[in-house]
Amino acid sequence: MHITQIGLPPTPLVPRTEETAVAAVDTSSITIGETCKGIVIAVRGASIRKQKRRYRYLRVGPFIFHITEENKKEVYNALQRAHFISSHEHNHNGSPSLLQMPTRVASLLERWLQTVLSKTTSNGLVLFDGSLTSGIADTSTQRMKETLNNARKRGNVVLAFSKMTNLRFNGYLITDALRGYKPPCILEIAGLKPRPPVVLLGDVYLVKLTKGNYAFRLDIDKEIYEEQKIEAVEKLLGNDLFSQSYPETLRLAHIFCTFTANEVIAMQHFIARKYDLKIINRPNMHRLLFGPFGKGEHYS
Amino acid sequence: MKLYKKDGNIVQILSFPNETVEKGDYLIIEDSSLGKALIVQTIDVQFADVPGILEELLRSLPDGGELIQGEDFDPLEIAPHITYIQDARLLRCKIRATIDNASLSPSSSWLPSRAQSIIKKLPIPTLLKLAKIDGKLPIVLGNTKESSPLTIDASFLDGKLNIITGKKETGKSHLSKLLMVNLIHYGATVVVFDLNGEYVSLGMTSDGKRNTYSNKIHVLTPSQNFKVALKQLHLHVLLNILIHALHLPGTSAREFRRIWRSLKERDILNLHELGEVIRNWSCNNFVRDALFSRYYTLLNSGFFTDNIAEAMILEESLFKAKKEGGVIVINLRNTSSIDRQIVVEYLLGNLVELLRSWKLKAVFLFAEEAHLYLRETYWDDIVTRMRHLGIFTTFVTNQPNTIHENIYRQADNIFLLNFTNEHDLEAVSRAARVDAETVKSIAKDLPPRHCLVLGKVVKDFPIVVKVRALDIKTMGETRLFFKDMN
Repeated sequence: MHITQIGLPPTPLVPRTEETAVAAVDTSSITIGETCKGIVIAVRGASIRKQKRRYRYLRVGPFIFHITEENKKEVYNALQRAHFISSHEHNHNGSPSLLQMPTRVASLLERWLQTVLSKTTSNGLVLFDGSLTSGIADTSTQRMKETLNNARKRGNVVLAFSKMTNLRFNGYLITDALRGYKPPCILEIAGLKPRPPVVLLGDVYLVKLTKGNYAFRLDIDKEIYEEQKIEAVEKLLGNDLFSQSYPETLRLAHIFCTFTANEVIAMQHFIARKYDLKIINRPNMHRLLFGPFGKGEHYS
Repeated sequence: MKLYKKDGNIVQILSFPNETVEKGDYLIIEDSSLGKALIVQTIDVQFADVPGILEELLRSLPDGGELIQGEDFDPLEIAPHITYIQDARLLRCKIRATIDNASLSPSSSWLPSRAQSIIKKLPIPTLLKLAKIDGKLPIVLGNTKESSPLTIDASFLDGKLNIITGKKETGKSHLSKLLMVNLIHYGATVVVFDLNGEYVSLGMTSDGKRNTYSNKIHVLTPSQNFKVALKQLHLHVLLNILIHALHLPGTSAREFRRIWRSLKERDILNLHELGEVIRNWSCNNFVRDALFSRYYTLLNSGFFTDNIAEAMILEESLFKAKKEGGVIVINLRNTSSIDRQIVVEYLLGNLVELLRSWKLKAVFLFAEEAHLYLRETYWDDIVTRMRHLGIFTTFVTNQPNTIHENIYRQADNIFLLNFTNEHDLEAVSRAARVDAETVKSIAKDLPPRHCLVLGKVVKDFPIVVKVRALDIKTMGETRLFFKDMN
């Protein structure tokens, strides 16, 4: 994508404190082991709602899958069908590779949770992790449009925060553009032209919401009015906490879905008990071959 | 349970929440392939260092305030497994013995298999049986955590040096009384230096009636029913009193010796004559003054008498106790510090004489807060010379640092009640019969009336026991201002 225009100086933001529900969703995946035929993965999602100054969570999972070359297509399509039964579009491109499966299954769960959140929140702010870019492998344009439509119908505004971005202007990362400007402020990144089949379903902004050096790319649903977009960010400022310019609701969603080492051990314990599996440590080939010079990753 | 690590004589065992093991519990690690087993004692229970636990705890308290409320949809029911791993415990255990061919040895030189070993709790009665802790002269100390009785053999107190220690109001005197009544049950002679008058009612039940021991309890109160005539005294006993309790200088002591011999030769050893002779003795005035000041101290103590009939009670009590067992309670409750030292010097000197001449076989001496009346040189004397003569001492104190280090090193048995102060535990941990870690870890968590028994009476297997109750009138209660106030 290429940026043609950046609307400096940024627009200052004023927090709007009228009570507005804030909801966020995130998912995570992890490979918890390998078998002779494939991999064992776990995915988990979390949605967080902030209403009346209180956070509540809904955590779904972990869901554990044994994925092999033989069953990966079946598993992936079954999950797609189960999650998006009303969808017009199915993935006809085949299933992802074995290595991609953990993130792709997590993406499916994330899209589903985003849809649920869009349908169950009213007149609120729905926060996504990432961008509103569609048309890529795990995000079909049709599904993303449906999700945004559902949100709009219930008076919600979808705001997607990207922790990392590769977008550059004049060779500099766009997140550096707000250095020196007083927060909270917002800057529109105009003229982005994605290459097909990638579609941008949101307008791209850069926001710096609290003091510090951090600014984030923020995608806001294209289909809502300009003033509504700025108002949504101001409502977010007035209704959520921020740490390093990042909303607490989204931070909590991430924290609640991430797997800890203890949970990985517990899941290994569960599958070992349930399926009578014996867990062995895979030899570390780097160590095996190069001794103290082998600095490769540890396998377990 | 799984064997995790061994470092020196400490093994670390991984235990899961459904396996309840507490501090002080014994475990047996059986390695059937080697036909051997290790007996270990849990000295600390810690959480296993499970990775990611900090993140998990932080996750539930993101604002450092209230728990975040919410729902978990966990179709595979992984949560109990997470809790199971989270609550995994690491047991730090001390190796106590090895069982090889059904016999016990203190060896820890072998290593059981980590994969094949079976780890089980070792019930205390089984341990007692294995270690043969019972004996011909049983003393039931109380019940272990498993409600099984702990019986020690009185003969393991015989000829031994014992320490009973613990902080205030944890039951030291109660335990002393329990040992005393059991010792006299087996015909032993017991002498107790009773600093607070706690033992004077040893012969009474809690409701004030005479109990089965009442005839064997002899309460001697210095200057009341316990007096000494100069004629009964050996010169060296009196010199010990003058030099050690009353700090008489050497030159004056030499003059006193001459005066004493002069009186003895003339057979006029009495208080009046002693005063007269000092007055008229041809010597340096400073020496005379020094002797006079000590003479008046002896006189004012009220402990000395010229009436022989008044002064026979100690010997009478000791000989009675020798025949049928008994406790001679030296009630030092209202005795001043100097008088206390005079009494103790006299008593110890006299006991040594009686034992040396075989008039007495042996004496079990219970010394409460001995630092308040025992002179410096006696500490070594007690563990060496006096023990060989037949004085078997039990020190009772709530200030363990007041007992000399060599007493700890030589102690055969230690009855340790609760201590929370690190310095106190540090003092006790100098005992040779136990490792510092066991003392520090287990003693800290002992509830009142619970005692960690260490040493020969338990064959060096430290055991926690709840000391059994005795139907004896309590006298050690502290006087309270607010008691009985509405």
